[in-house]
Amino acid sequence: MEYLTMEYRPLLAILGPTVASLLIVLTGNRPNLRESWTLLGGLFLFATVISISPFVLKEGPIGLSLFKLLPGVDFAFKADAFGLIFATTSSSLWILVSLYSIGYMRSLKEHAQTRYYFSFAVALVGAIGIAFSANLVTMFVFYEILTISTYPLVAHEESPEAISAGHKYLAYLLTSGLFFLVGILVTYLAVGTTEFQPQGILKTALGSTSKLTLQIVFFCFLIGFAKAAWMPLHAWLPSAMVAPTPVSALLHAVAVVKAGVFGIIRIVCYIYGIDVMQSLGLGLALACVAAFTILVANLYAIGQNNLKRMLAYSTINQLSFIILGVALLSPMAVTGAMIHIPFHGFMKITLFLCAGAITAIAGKRDISDMKGIGRILPVTMLAFIIGAFGMAGAPPLAGFISKWHISLGAIQSGQMVFLLVILIGSLLDVIYFFPVIRTAFFGKIPENQVIKGDLEEKVDLYSEQPRSIEARRPLYLFMVVPLSITAIFSILLCLFPRMFYIYDLALAAVENIFGGM
Amino acid sequence: MIQQLPVIIVVFPLLLSFFIFMAGWWNKKLCFPLAVFALAGCVLSSVAILVNVINQGPIHYWLGGWPPPWGIEYLVDHLNALMLVLVSSLSLLVAISTKRNVEAELPEKIPSFWSLYVLLITGLLGITVTGDMFNLFVLLEVASLAAYALIAMGEKHATYASFRYIVIGTIGASWYLLGIGYLYIVTGSLNMINLSQILPDLYQSKAVMVGFAFILLGVCIKMALFPLHVWLPDAYTRAPSAVSAAIAPLMTKVMAYVLIRVLFTVFKPEYSIQNLHATDILSWIGTIAILFGGIMALSQSDFKKMLCYIMVAEIGYIVGGIGIANATALKGAIFHIINDAIMVACLFLVASMVMYKTKGHQISNFKGIFRKMPYSAAIFTVGALAVIGVPPTCGFFSKWYLLLGGIQANHWAFVIALLIATLINVALFFRIFDVGLYLHAFQHEPESDGMASSPQSHEAPLIMLIPAAMIAIAIIVIGIFNQTIVNNIIKFAVPMGL
Repeated sequence: MEYLTMEYRPLLAILGPTVASLLIVLTGNRPNLRESWTLLGGLFLFATVISISPFVLKEGPIGLSLFKLLPGVDFAFKADAFGLIFATTSSSLWILVSLYSIGYMRSLKEHAQTRYYFSFAVALVGAIGIAFSANLVTMFVFYEILTISTYPLVAHEESPEAISAGHKYLAYLLTSGLFFLVGILVTYLAVGTTEFQPQGILKTALGSTSKLTLQIVFFCFLIGFAKAAWMPLHAWLPSAMVAPTPVSALLHAVAVVKAGVFGIIRIVCYIYGIDVMQSLGLGLALACVAAFTILVANLYAIGQNNLKRMLAYSTINQLSFIILGVALLSPMAVTGAMIHIPFHGFMKITLFLCAGAITAIAGKRDISDMKGIGRILPVTMLAFIIGAFGMAGAPPLAGFISKWHISLGAIQSGQMVFLLVILIGSLLDVIYFFPVIRTAFFGKIPENQVIKGDLEEKVDLYSEQPRSIEARRPLYLFMVVPLSITAIFSILLCLFPRMFYIYDLALAAVENIFGGM
Repeated sequence: MIQQLPVIIVVFPLLLSFFIFMAGWWNKKLCFPLAVFALAGCVLSSVAILVNVINQGPIHYWLGGWPPPWGIEYLVDHLNALMLVLVSSLSLLVAISTKRNVEAELPEKIPSFWSLYVLLITGLLGITVTGDMFNLFVLLEVASLAAYALIAMGEKHATYASFRYIVIGTIGASWYLLGIGYLYIVTGSLNMINLSQILPDLYQSKAVMVGFAFILLGVCIKMALFPLHVWLPDAYTRAPSAVSAAIAPLMTKVMAYVLIRVLFTVFKPEYSIQNLHATDILSWIGTIAILFGGIMALSQSDFKKMLCYIMVAEIGYIVGGIGIANATALKGAIFHIINDAIMVACLFLVASMVMYKTKGHQISNFKGIFRKMPYSAAIFTVGALAVIGVPPTCGFFSKWYLLLGGIQANHWAFVIALLIATLINVALFFRIFDVGLYLHAFQHEPESDGMASSPQSHEAPLIMLIPAAMIAIAIIVIGIFNQTIVNNIIKFAVPMGL
């Protein structure tokens, strides 16, 4: 490994999707070439990120300062253990979702595909930039890039519903961005810097700034991370489900929302620090917000008929598991929170990709329409079951490992009431997935089943011939193969959590955060 | 030679403007090259002046060799050196970019247009470079009269808008004159530095206070500070595209510069801040201006009028920053003068490109702009993000300083107004992004996958795109390298003792 160029790898990682996005725009009228830029960019990004991880585990974070933005604030990158977890998640899943997008967009003959792929690539620039930011201001730059680049993706359909969902999206996220900015300004005024340090930078401010100010600023930051969809700032996420499914899958299950929780963990551990959080009592406050969201989101999910909306509420619920993990302020809990970022990402993407495949291949969006679909799309629905059990935290799915850690962390920090919240939340997870599974596998396919894309084709329940239509067209395989891969990974990550260095990175990060505690 | 540049930068375009007019009798095609020649000369002079001021300090030039207070002095320090570069370079880029607009909209008035244009810039440069209060008035009138004539050349109702501007603007200039008259009676001097030395003994005088008030009011009228802004929206909307693109970024910002001069150079900061509390009042008026401009902009369907109201809000940022009067806020205000001029120039140039191609400047003229005029749309995006205040455009950094200054001074109303203005700007520009991006929602034509088949045929010509693109790139570069500008120039422009 050339250590000489290792210093610049974070910058290379960001340049990868940037160059890809420009190439996508320039080759807009040659679709196959255009799609190849996305895939090449994704592979390049993933390779770069994976190559950084062993180095960082051995030698510590890679810092790279580009230029001075403001007095005391540089435009700087730092690839540390925690940032690498997020970067690994986003980059690995981008490749799979891009493959899936090709199948999805082309089988539905979607419009404006260049704008779609371009915005996707720029969104990844935002996500990786957030992962590798060394300070709050740099993170703010990429945060806004992420919000703005995902707007055309949310409003992609250009129907009145999509455009109003886009406006709602912007209203929530850009307004919250302003609260983030206020938090940054007050932090800057208090300590003169906005760098991320593992033990926090606000310890010195405890003497000079009032406790109330620091608590209010924490809430400004929390509102600023409305991307984490904690209640009551969650409403943009279910509305954003009007976007095409690959968008919902990558962005609203992985990149955008995980950027939100990533930011919250950065604020808790790298700006405030565990000591300050405990002395200000903010851990308990944050845990209450998270607990509320977990329970209420699950309750909302139970009644949903639209599959993607149900998955949206499930996402809101799972994100708050991550927030709860951090809020418990104990090593096991924070480890669990950090590894839930990739684990939940893989599982949730499986679920969304299945929902999208159901829409693209069979034309169904509502659960009540999906009677017997398990026979027509067996691989898809099997993957769906895997994802659903992962949500509940059942072994041998990855969700089990992270929830186990968070639960142990709750016991470790002595806050047993949150252990109860975790258990109830997991139970509720099973409850709302159950109708989907039952309808899909045990429902009777209606007599005159018309499958979209293969018009007026009847599926005869009693026929002897194979009924699965997943392999009927090669384009469908572009969708089914990625979702199978993510489902298999959801199981593999449970058996081998050190894959992609994820568990090691989390342990390293937690060790730094908790220092000598 | 360097010592002569402060006067060259005024005399050169002044003489050339008359020359352009006469050359126009002979051959109309000579007018534009001569105008570019004049402005290019100004750009080179202003850059030379700025480099000299950074390296060696302020330049003094006495007209005719007469020392002040009998003679007129031209004094260039860091603040006006920066303004000189801004005015001259923006006017050159706008002139090149809007040449086609002039030929399309005012074909029979080309000689008078270009000569008045150069005369306008002469006036603005003169206001920036002079160190004498009355000379400032003379050049202010030169610029204003040129502006009135240029605006009146515009669309329907332009003459009426220009007439309103004449009436209100002349009142403003006359109040300014009245103010310096009071000061002259009491001190016998018209030179800014001289006044700043004589006046402190007279700060208790009522005549001085009244003079100060009249000067401020006159400047505020010309600067379009709420509620004295009423002439601006119609005048700049109805003016020809080339005129709006030149006057809008420059005129009001030069008057903001004059405000800083009067408040902090002619009168010492402690007078403005403590004796009269003028700065407190200005900070509150600035806050209200921000909100007013934003709300009025939301209801506009004409793109240029929307930009005019955004400008009223931006003047509110600058005046609010001046009013808060601590070092950080003042840095932000001065930097915002630069940034606002550049952002507004960029957006008005986009308006002129849209006008050239679609013959209108309503928001509905932006339909499908991302597909039909992608480069113009990209330039528009940069300008829009700068006004909203998204890093790394320059707009973010001046807002950062203004917000920091406001928090430091505990002026929370200003801070909150700035944040609300950011949201309003988001709504304003995303409205246009929607119209521009989403062809399908507004037109139902079958689009093939990917970009339109011939994007170039609808795009604005290169002569219009390149200067606008240079301004857009400047927006980002100035943002990224803002520390260079702030530390090397603006830091020295902030008066001592703040």
